Amino acid sequence: MARITLENVRKEYGDVVAVRGIDLEVSDGSFVVVVGPSGCGKSTTLRLVAGLESVTDGDVRKDGESLVGVEPKDRDVAMVFQNYALYPHMTARRNMTFGAGSATAFDDEEIERRVTDAAELLDIEDLLDRKPEALSGGERQRVALGRAIIRDPDVFLMDEPLSNLDAKLRIRMRAELAKLHEELRTTTVYVTHDQTEAMTLGDEVVVMNDGRVQQVDSPQRLYDYPANRFVAEFIGDPAMNTLDVTVEAGADGARAVHPGFRLPLPDGDGLDAAAGSGAVLGVRPEDLSLADADSGADAFEATVTVTEPLGDSLLLECRVGGDRLKTQASPRSDVGAGDTVALTPDPERLHLFDPDSGEAVYHSAGATTAPDRDGRATRSPATTPEER
Amino acid sequence: MTLLETIVDVPNRAAEYLSGERTGDRLARLREDGLAVHAALASLVLLLLFPVLVAVIVSTKESGIITGLGGLVPGGNTYANYYRALVELEFYRYMLNSLVMASVVVVGKLVVSLLAVLAVVYYRVPYKDIVFLFILFTLLLPVPVRFVPLYRLVTGLGWNNTVLAITVPYLASATTVFVLRQHFLSIPPSLVENAKLDGVGPLEFLWRVLIPMSKGILVGVSVIIFVYAWNQYLWPLVIVGDDLQVAQVGLGQLRGQAQAGDVAWALTMTGSVLTLLPPLVLLVLFRKPLLETFSIQRK
Repeated sequence: MARITLENVRKEYGDVVAVRGIDLEVSDGSFVVVVGPSGCGKSTTLRLVAGLESVTDGDVRKDGESLVGVEPKDRDVAMVFQNYALYPHMTARRNMTFGAGSATAFDDEEIERRVTDAAELLDIEDLLDRKPEALSGGERQRVALGRAIIRDPDVFLMDEPLSNLDAKLRIRMRAELAKLHEELRTTTVYVTHDQTEAMTLGDEVVVMNDGRVQQVDSPQRLYDYPANRFVAEFIGDPAMNTLDVTVEAGADGARAVHPGFRLPLPDGDGLDAAAGSGAVLGVRPEDLSLADADSGADAFEATVTVTEPLGDSLLLECRVGGDRLKTQASPRSDVGAGDTVALTPDPERLHLFDPDSGEAVYHSAGATTAPDRDGRATRSPATTPEER
Repeated sequence: MTLLETIVDVPNRAAEYLSGERTGDRLARLREDGLAVHAALASLVLLLLFPVLVAVIVSTKESGIITGLGGLVPGGNTYANYYRALVELEFYRYMLNSLVMASVVVVGKLVVSLLAVLAVVYYRVPYKDIVFLFILFTLLLPVPVRFVPLYRLVTGLGWNNTVLAITVPYLASATTVFVLRQHFLSIPPSLVENAKLDGVGPLEFLWRVLIPMSKGILVGVSVIIFVYAWNQYLWPLVIVGDDLQVAQVGLGQLRGQAQAGDVAWALTMTGSVLTLLPPLVLLVLFRKPLLETFSIQRK
């Protein structure tokens, strides 16, 4: 068990900057997922914690003690790799015990006992005498997890451990990982490019892009209150619609004005500052509903260009005043390409972003009910202007 | 399949043909495979093997002078020739010396190369690429080129006429380093990283992970090294005396035996065949890992 702190950590490879000064706090026993597109520096960050790479600048601390210059083996962390990193010539059991002798103070008997326990926990008792080539992808990943578990490290570091598995197995292993963490409560840092994995697994999710932390928050708050356009568009599938609008203040409140619609915006923080200028309106496809003809002034018309039946819903790509947006309709809706539909956005679920910096300036959900902070501080990147 | 693969594959395919249940099947299969191609390949193989076959035949004759095709009939002196060469003329001694030399070179070269590759691949050595290039550069300086300074060095150390003299100069091998490096680079880095996190030391990693994972290639490289060492002639001739002399040089002793006023060709060929045997046995036994080493095995 341990707390990991990253302070202004930078990593450069020659001229290439992989990590541009990030601050992060991983509290004891938590499951933190670092998510971002490939090349965003998330794996590098994990390797910096593991000690497989050395920081160019800044500090990595475990329980307050600096890890800079500490050998990987002395950090008491165990890593699970995307390609499992099992030794092909050793049986599953040997793979699990091989490093344990050097990494821990356990004697052989203790290691043996721990292997049995881990095998039971992971349901791989029957596989212990097989070599990796005789195991399926999921079984290999279990063995790799078992190897990390029997070491009983302070921290688990997982580098896209589910990426090599097929979709079904990934979902099953995801649930098992969550269960495993529930039982072990070992501090875990988990890196993935898959936002679904991030949302489902993380106590806290760190969204990274271009070597910087974009937002650290609980999954739901990340989804409801994205700190900037990148987070808004990265989290959620299908991605959030973004449309250029002008914010106009009027007697009956502010409106987002677009060639295709004039949308009333509920009063809220940041709305006054945004009034009179351009902004980017963000609205998720699932927050746009197909309205009846008489649903009132909030509805606007859109022309359907493409329909994508997903089974559980019907994804519509529409054109509104020259812009495109996506929306979800009920699966058996009688809507086809070329049809005109009326869309009503959920007034509680609108976002405005600064068109230049991409920072969020307004969330309509915050307007009517204050966000439940749940005792958790919402940390935004250092570049966020404080006055917003 | 390339020609080389076809040739190497001959024993397997021959066994396949012979295990056919009926003769008809075999003929049909032969036709299917292309008779003309097989004929062409067979004659090429024969051409390659011809000198060796002649040597084998001559080693069975009394005089060993062949003047025409009619002379290519095996003689009845096989046992006498081999007994005389091996026992009376003590050729077995040379072969034993060669065996010792080649074995020491194989083990020594593997140890040195493995350690060098471990450093070149897994350590952060400054100017690593230049170091590796420098190692490759030594390919341009084989033993014969270094002859004179090497002779002075070895005699200066007082090693002349010792096993050290015919083994130590061969221990560094750029070829082996190169082959092993390419192989080690193909091993996923995450294995090393996991070992690092577990605190598995470099030598333990080498011994328990890298070597077991590289068995095939190590056997292949060993065969190449063995054949190379076994075939050394000039350096042993210069640096060691008769009691440590190797088989290739020992052949000359056999030729020196006059036979009815002529060069003893039959005995010479007997020695040649004997000298050929150990590498041949290794090649046959380890042909699979050998091909793997050169990455031309049929996948």
